[in-house]
Amino acid sequence: MKSTAKRACALYILVGLFFVGAVTLFIMLCVNSSKWAMQRTNEHIYTNGTLVTAGAVLDRNSKVLVETKNGERIYNQSSAIRKATLHILGDTSGFISTGVQNVYSDELVGYSFLNGVYLLEKYQGGNNVKLTIDADVCATALNVLGSNKGAVCAYNYKTGEIICMVSAPTYDPQSVPKDIMTNTEKYEGVYLNRVFSGVFTPGSTFKIVTAISAIENISNINQQKFNCNGKTTIGDGTVICNGTHGELSFKDALAHSCNCAFSEIAVQLGNEKLQTTANQLGFNKALKMNKTVVAKSTFNVSSASTLDLGWAGIGQYTTLVNPYHMMTILGAIANGGTYVKPYLVDGIETQLGIDIPTIKTKDGDNYMSENTANTIKDMLRYNVTSYYGDSKFPNLQMCGKTGTAELDNEKSHAWFVGFSENENCPYAIVVCVQNGGSGYDVAIPVANKVMQSIYKSVSKE
Amino acid sequence: MDKKTALPKIKKENLLKKYKHTSRIALLIMLTVFQLVSFFQVAVDKTDKINYEILFIMGGYILIEWLYFFVFSVFLKRKSFELETIAFLLTGIGLTIVASVNPADLLKQFIAVVLGLFTFIAMTFYMGSIKRIEVMRMPLGFCAVGILSLNLILAKAINGARNWISLGGISIQPSELVKIAFIFVGASTLAKLQSARSLTKFIVFFLFCVGALFLMYDFGTALIFFATFLIIAFMRSGDIRTLLIICGAALVGAGLILMFKPYVANRFATYRHVWELADAGGYQQTRVLIYSVSGGLFGVGIGNGKLRNIFASTTDLVFGVVCEEWGIILGFAIIVMFALLTVYAIRSAGATRSTFYSIASCAAAGMMLFQVCLNVFGITDLLPLTGVTLPFISQGGTSMICSWGLLAFIKSADNSTYPEIEREGKRI
Repeated sequence: MKSTAKRACALYILVGLFFVGAVTLFIMLCVNSSKWAMQRTNEHIYTNGTLVTAGAVLDRNSKVLVETKNGERIYNQSSAIRKATLHILGDTSGFISTGVQNVYSDELVGYSFLNGVYLLEKYQGGNNVKLTIDADVCATALNVLGSNKGAVCAYNYKTGEIICMVSAPTYDPQSVPKDIMTNTEKYEGVYLNRVFSGVFTPGSTFKIVTAISAIENISNINQQKFNCNGKTTIGDGTVICNGTHGELSFKDALAHSCNCAFSEIAVQLGNEKLQTTANQLGFNKALKMNKTVVAKSTFNVSSASTLDLGWAGIGQYTTLVNPYHMMTILGAIANGGTYVKPYLVDGIETQLGIDIPTIKTKDGDNYMSENTANTIKDMLRYNVTSYYGDSKFPNLQMCGKTGTAELDNEKSHAWFVGFSENENCPYAIVVCVQNGGSGYDVAIPVANKVMQSIYKSVSKE
Repeated sequence: MDKKTALPKIKKENLLKKYKHTSRIALLIMLTVFQLVSFFQVAVDKTDKINYEILFIMGGYILIEWLYFFVFSVFLKRKSFELETIAFLLTGIGLTIVASVNPADLLKQFIAVVLGLFTFIAMTFYMGSIKRIEVMRMPLGFCAVGILSLNLILAKAINGARNWISLGGISIQPSELVKIAFIFVGASTLAKLQSARSLTKFIVFFLFCVGALFLMYDFGTALIFFATFLIIAFMRSGDIRTLLIICGAALVGAGLILMFKPYVANRFATYRHVWELADAGGYQQTRVLIYSVSGGLFGVGIGNGKLRNIFASTTDLVFGVVCEEWGIILGFAIIVMFALLTVYAIRSAGATRSTFYSIASCAAAGMMLFQVCLNVFGITDLLPLTGVTLPFISQGGTSMICSWGLLAFIKSADNSTYPEIEREGKRI
């Protein structure tokens, strides 16, 4: 009998295993709770895979961008704002994966492991999410882009608030165009937020990277003189310039965006040093904005020939740049070498009116030394004062660089990247007009109109 | 050996008594309050309309509980009611879910509960005498063989596993009833001095059951029989080597089956891949996970769930419905209760009058716990999905009767179930 009692104790092994399983299950449920609850097949939250019951998304002036009313998800009344903020908000089906309604769906729904979806069902709405963007500025940006495809993004380089983010082509989420799937020309990549997910040939905006590398690696770069007679021989080929600039200093070479000078500087630097600087500036690395993974900018000259290195130094070759990443480089230059991480969500308010703390101003990576940042900042300012003209950017004390990225068999991308030194308007901006043509002619006016709109918006506050 | 060990260990008994005999009236009141709250949520809908059928049946269920406690404590002087309290609680949760999801089936389920309780009472009485057990061993064994053979002959393919037979409009699951016979036969065969012949008979019986279940594609129940066989074999022999040989043989057998019948392996192809197959083979598991976490720790409330609309929500997936509507905390409380039943069985094993009781009670508790493992961890993809029910809670008559039948084995191993025997024992 005793032995039977002892043997019965072997059953404790089964009980023990059972408990291990139960604890594992509990941890599994706890860890994956919001991921599983936010599956689009969850009928508490989605109807046929579209988000219906959730909190509102507001802009920085508490303008309602999207909300749930009478069991329907309704976007802002203005069609201009609807189109301009679509890529920030995302659609209700989650096609625009980087949209706030997708990335912050569990916050919007107010899901928690503690209460599940109970509060959502009780209040027929989740948490409200307030964004840092200004919907009117976004509408202006989309308006000035016109019918072009492209991306515009601007953020406060001191605090990190993103005030404007627009991606085109876009559509009106309240009345989705019928030809959205068939008209592939007009709606090419319409579900991509080009600011986060697009990569483009940078053209001359890349000269900022080459210049930074030169400042850090070539001690006498400011004493050097470059001679431009319209083209130059690099390795076993020729690099053609956008003009005939004659004798140029380093500073003037950047202002005139001289291809001859910068391809020569790239060759002086060599593959390794230019690659190191690019990597240090965040190339070939996936940045993250809070929960959103940003497309990687790519730069690789490790096996490039001398000629290719020359082309790479002026932003051609195989280099591709993501607009958001480019904006962080400008932010770092404006902010003494380290950028402040851009952010989009200003605050989350629960159904019960309680604020949930969110990550706001936070330093990102250190891209360069403060000295380098100040030197390149002066050069970018010189670009505007000496070449583009301050009249292009009234009141802004703008620093910046244009780019005209040449493409095979396609019209060039028009770029402008820069920031304002006006203390009342500490914003950095990136404009990329796909196949827009010249950066000077096309991107500068876009950047100016957006910056003026920001200036107006922030001086009201 | 039996005579010698029939003497109770008085010291241990007292200890157990102290541990077991908590205030039964307090337990009963707590149970009733819990059930009143949950029953009313189902009987009264959102527009305050009262469903009288549900109200009467649920009232009847509570009445039965009080009647049971009253009769057995006042007239039959039983002192411990922990097992019944747990079973009544679990059964009540199951009834509430049936009332809420499939109200049309409530009466049928209620009748099943009454039959289950009747089985429990009858079995507990019957097993009061060790002599009666000997008498029933062979007939029960033959009954089990007969009913499984009948199942194999008559079975129609229902829901993938051919483990149902339909008799006069009522579908029954013979394998559930055979579980009781299996433990009865196994424990009583081995309780006798182990003769090679009686052991061989049991092994043949076991192989027949498992073979029949395989032919019905009911791998879940086959596994449960195997685990129970291991427990019974170990309880009797205490020989780890024998167990290892049995397990080894089983593995080889399983390997051979997979080799010659590859479609068996296909049934387990979704295991650990449910999210990739969320709209195919992983449909049920992913919905259980999605809706369990949707409920949160406290649930969305009875009747507000979505898992209820998924196929088999009141049977195989019922644990998910509990988590979603009643809360993950209650779901895990249920898990703990099943573990407690097993612990109870283990702790009673030392003081039984005959090894039959300790073996049967441990085998029954182990069988039940193993089935809970297969069910709860199967629908949540921690184990492959085998489609077994959750004892007491899942909808289904035979499953309910079997659950209460298994409980009777645990109950009869506890000496305080038979106050007259206990008294006699003390006098000696």
